[in-house]
Amino acid sequence: MTDRPSRVAATEAQRDARGIAPLRPEAIAAVATFVLSVVLILASRFVSPALGSWDQAATVVVLASFLIVVAFGQGLVILIGGLDLSVASLVTLGAVLATTWIGSSNDGAIYLLPAILIVCGLIGAASGIGVTLLGVPPFIMTMATGIIVGSVALGYTSGTPRGGAPGILIALMKDDWAGVQILIVFVVLFAVLAAILQGSTSFGRKLYAIGASARAAHVAGVSVTRMTILAYAMSAVSAGLAGLMLAGYSDGATLRMGDSYLLPSIAAVVVGGSSILGGTGSFAATVGGAVLLTTLGTVIAALGIGEGWRTVIEGSIILIALLLLRESTFAGLKRLLGR
Amino acid sequence: MGSAGRPGLTVEGATKSYGATVALEHVSLHLAAGEVHALLGENGAGKSTLVKILSGVVQPDTGAMTLDGAPYRPHTILQARAAGVATAFQELSLPANLTVAESLLMPRLSKGAGGLISARKTERTAAAILRRHGLASIDPGQAIDDLPLAERQRLEIVRALHHASKVLVLDEPTAALAEVDWLFDRIRDAAQAGIAILYISHRLAEVRSLCKLATVLRNGQSVATVAVDGASDDRIFELMVGHGKRAGIQRRPAAPRGAARLEVRNLATARLGDVSFQVAAGEILGVAALDGQGQRSLFYSLVGLEARSGGTVTVAGRDSSPTRPEGALKDGLALLPEERKTEGILTSLSAAGNIVLPIMPQVSRSGFVWPSLERQAAAEPARAVDMSPRYLEFRIGDLSGGNQQKALLARTMATGAKTLLLYDPTRGVDVGTKETIYAAIRVFTEGGGAVLIYSSELPELVRIADRCLVLYGGSIFAEFEGDDIDERAMVAALTGHPGAARGPASPEPAS
Amino acid sequence: MSADVTALASRPADPPASAARRPRWGRRLANGAGIVTLLYLILYALYGLWDRGAFSAYAFTNLVNNAAPLAIAAAGETLVVLSRGFDLSVAGVMSLTNVVMATYPMEGPQGALLSLLMCMAIGGVVGCVNGAAVAYLRLQSIAATLGTMIICRGLSLVILDAPGGTVTDFVSNTLTDQLFGVIPVSGLIVAALAGLWGLVRRTDFGVALYTVGTDETAAALSGVSVARTRFLAFVGAGLVYGVAGFMLTAQTATGNPNGGNPFLMLTFAAVALGGTSLSGGRGGMIGSIVGAATLMLLQKVLFSGGVSSFYTGIFQGVVLVVAIVFSRALSRLLDGRRR
Repeated sequence: MTDRPSRVAATEAQRDARGIAPLRPEAIAAVATFVLSVVLILASRFVSPALGSWDQAATVVVLASFLIVVAFGQGLVILIGGLDLSVASLVTLGAVLATTWIGSSNDGAIYLLPAILIVCGLIGAASGIGVTLLGVPPFIMTMATGIIVGSVALGYTSGTPRGGAPGILIALMKDDWAGVQILIVFVVLFAVLAAILQGSTSFGRKLYAIGASARAAHVAGVSVTRMTILAYAMSAVSAGLAGLMLAGYSDGATLRMGDSYLLPSIAAVVVGGSSILGGTGSFAATVGGAVLLTTLGTVIAALGIGEGWRTVIEGSIILIALLLLRESTFAGLKRLLGR
Repeated sequence: MGSAGRPGLTVEGATKSYGATVALEHVSLHLAAGEVHALLGENGAGKSTLVKILSGVVQPDTGAMTLDGAPYRPHTILQARAAGVATAFQELSLPANLTVAESLLMPRLSKGAGGLISARKTERTAAAILRRHGLASIDPGQAIDDLPLAERQRLEIVRALHHASKVLVLDEPTAALAEVDWLFDRIRDAAQAGIAILYISHRLAEVRSLCKLATVLRNGQSVATVAVDGASDDRIFELMVGHGKRAGIQRRPAAPRGAARLEVRNLATARLGDVSFQVAAGEILGVAALDGQGQRSLFYSLVGLEARSGGTVTVAGRDSSPTRPEGALKDGLALLPEERKTEGILTSLSAAGNIVLPIMPQVSRSGFVWPSLERQAAAEPARAVDMSPRYLEFRIGDLSGGNQQKALLARTMATGAKTLLLYDPTRGVDVGTKETIYAAIRVFTEGGGAVLIYSSELPELVRIADRCLVLYGGSIFAEFEGDDIDERAMVAALTGHPGAARGPASPEPAS
Repeated sequence: MSADVTALASRPADPPASAARRPRWGRRLANGAGIVTLLYLILYALYGLWDRGAFSAYAFTNLVNNAAPLAIAAAGETLVVLSRGFDLSVAGVMSLTNVVMATYPMEGPQGALLSLLMCMAIGGVVGCVNGAAVAYLRLQSIAATLGTMIICRGLSLVILDAPGGTVTDFVSNTLTDQLFGVIPVSGLIVAALAGLWGLVRRTDFGVALYTVGTDETAAALSGVSVARTRFLAFVGAGLVYGVAGFMLTAQTATGNPNGGNPFLMLTFAAVALGGTSLSGGRGGMIGSIVGAATLMLLQKVLFSGGVSSFYTGIFQGVVLVVAIVFSRALSRLLDGRRR
């Protein structure tokens, strides 16, 4: 090629170079939330010497584990620009099925536990089909799924779930292995695998693309429908898994078990700096958000502050996180670093 | 009133940055009352920022403006309007939920009893405005949504005219207009009435017939104000681009035509009837059409983004009837879509991520994306479109429009498709990027690829197409080949002028 | 260009894009309010079929009283949804106003009026915070209002940590009574709100609201102050939620710090069922009010039809999805094949 106008390209190159630095807001959010959590735990020592110990940190991880698992699925759906309001019902469903299908024994757990997750996945897929093929807004579709599943769980248990949790789940939640709580290993493993799935697989990449623009992703040859259905299915499976964990943790199920995870799951994603409109964010930051929210809850509870004020502080944290994570904040940071 | 007595609008040293990006730097401009002044510059030169500053959409960081000698610093569109400055925006700012009358009078509609809006009064007021500006044919009660693009553009202009008592800013007012007489009459009337007019257009011919002076912006700075009559096209381009005459590509000699790569027989869709043609390997087939003649339908139905109602398509001899772009890619067809922002780029992904999206399996091993593979797979097509590799890591949303478009072209090439469908690939990119894109298309066809290209700019097709189809009313109205591709003859064909209809040089095998 | 060429060129370019004015009734029907009204009438007929008392003034008043809080909440939410936003704070404001009223009861009609003003003031303040966060600080509306909702929830718990409190007789009796023995008072309040909306629609703010929801950029370039319109939408919504909380107190005759929680999802269900597009710009308050009434009537119909209360959720979920799919299909049909 002799007629390629390289000089023109050079002028354009200069123009584009103005003020762009590869500064990733996601990374900052992830680090910031973790650092804040650690600081919170350490600072609580000043208030009361009983706090700020390793034990307390371990408690936080255990309590945060449910939220981390639910928030993973919620995060995938938010990533593609949706919202999953059915997670509460699916958490409940997971717990209810574990106690009714398997009960306190371990009989058949090896195939019944996967079966429960598959049932959840199918329900999630149904939400996904409603969103993609029927064109129902995600907000409404997942709400309807949630109402329906909740109603089924209610009817299936005639209002009062009975039975304990399978021993294998109780072991997962309570037992130690060489001095380390199995649950902590499990949660760390889950978080790493989930972060890889979202961040470094072709599946995850396609979800980011859909979140950035479903239309553009479709034009570029991404099977948007299939990926969307898959994302909703994954969300339901995560919620179901959290339900299994909760059943193991409390050795039983209640019908309102999942209710306290819907809004926190959204909050964890948001505090982690993902846009609620999709296309951005990382799971590491979401984990950070979940840990931060949980730390806050336990520290405040340990300080003897009532549920009311605790809730007020939680809400304020969400607003503060949003304010700090605004684009303009990062633009200001970039400018500071650029000078 | 004598226009000579009024100084008009001046801008002194206006600077505007968005975050760390400097959009305008010490721009100065003087618009005399009663004169039409051109504003020229490549895309990204800062024209739209200047327009926004003049119309009160954004405020300059530094610099001063005066209007008729008094300080002028509007903070909203309404303040600008109140001062007598109004703008017809390039992106057409008529909200689709409104009627013609409502959109003209927004944000304050005519009130009736009890201070409530009266639809009748609003329509009556609007009808009077439309009449005054020679647009009585538009029904003020009609929904904007139902108006053809050209009518919307006229309405946008009328609204600006209605509010512009001192300064009128027209940003690419002819983008959707096939016929400019109405507009030019309005501009001359307004100038006669002593209104200062800032005219922004890519079309030099229009600028020459309307304007005496032109200010050229480059990289956010006002580099010169020249007398249009005294400056040659080359001189103006030089000012815009910042260096000597660009390397012009001459029409290349007709390449020997290979086997038919894409063959379309009797294709029909909701807005397309019975279209047949073929594109050979190594050939660039141009499609020319005014807005809305079915060209979009043609391109989109080929890749499954729009339903077909009849006809057959074969690619490299094999039947192709995809229902999704995914299937089209498997058949070897890749589309560069019309709307870069909504159908093209994925803002939050890196440029490399955008390029490799359709070929994820190639850059991943058992589902995991391999960064080195990704970089490699993106680098090669990026090189083909002359895109600097260091941009590959940036979020595509942070790149200029020209680089975004290059990345999208690179994406179609990365797919490995041997037939590219390029829908207006140079829309909204600067002169330099255009040349790069032409060159890349050339290289692609020289390597045996086939290209179907639609362009909204005739000179572009004249330069790069081996053959050119003219679509009118959803079917092929004329076909030009080789040296017959001539702007004047094609203009007539574009409008469906009966004398301009002509068949292909060699009869199509189909039908 | 020669004269005849330009004449040809100035014709509307594309024949299929008909320039004919679409009939206004078509738009009205397509916007969904018509469909939900039809649904309501059908359900009422079913109700009458299964329960002979359905057409009595008493039964009707009961229905209206039940639906009033939700209808008013949904009407408020409509303001925000029309401007292309989501306001989750509705649940928080309703809880907060409810506990404030139950904690500080004021006797008699004047007391009730004062209470109403106080509720609206609370809602207005929350609306101002939401509006400032979304319109001026440019936070994402779901996330920001999630924060304010949680804060309101916390404050409700601070004020009243368990269900209880006192509600004056005037509020709990007179406001749920009939006027002249036929017209339900709560219905009058809803009607007054609908009437007010009719006026608002015919103001510049009303037109701006729809315009901002349809196309924010075009609205801004048309001289509409997008931020101010958004802000006012949130403030207006907050004021209306205050009224909803007031009516909730009248209906339940008690204070409950979690009383507003069920309204979070139901409000959006009512808005969507009423034909308001969750992506903004289309719909209206009347539809949302009828949508709310339909949701409440559905419960009654299922009960009188002998469906176990366990399973009413299944019907609610299905009706929600079917109604939205149906109205989408119908509006596409009426819109013709444009685009």
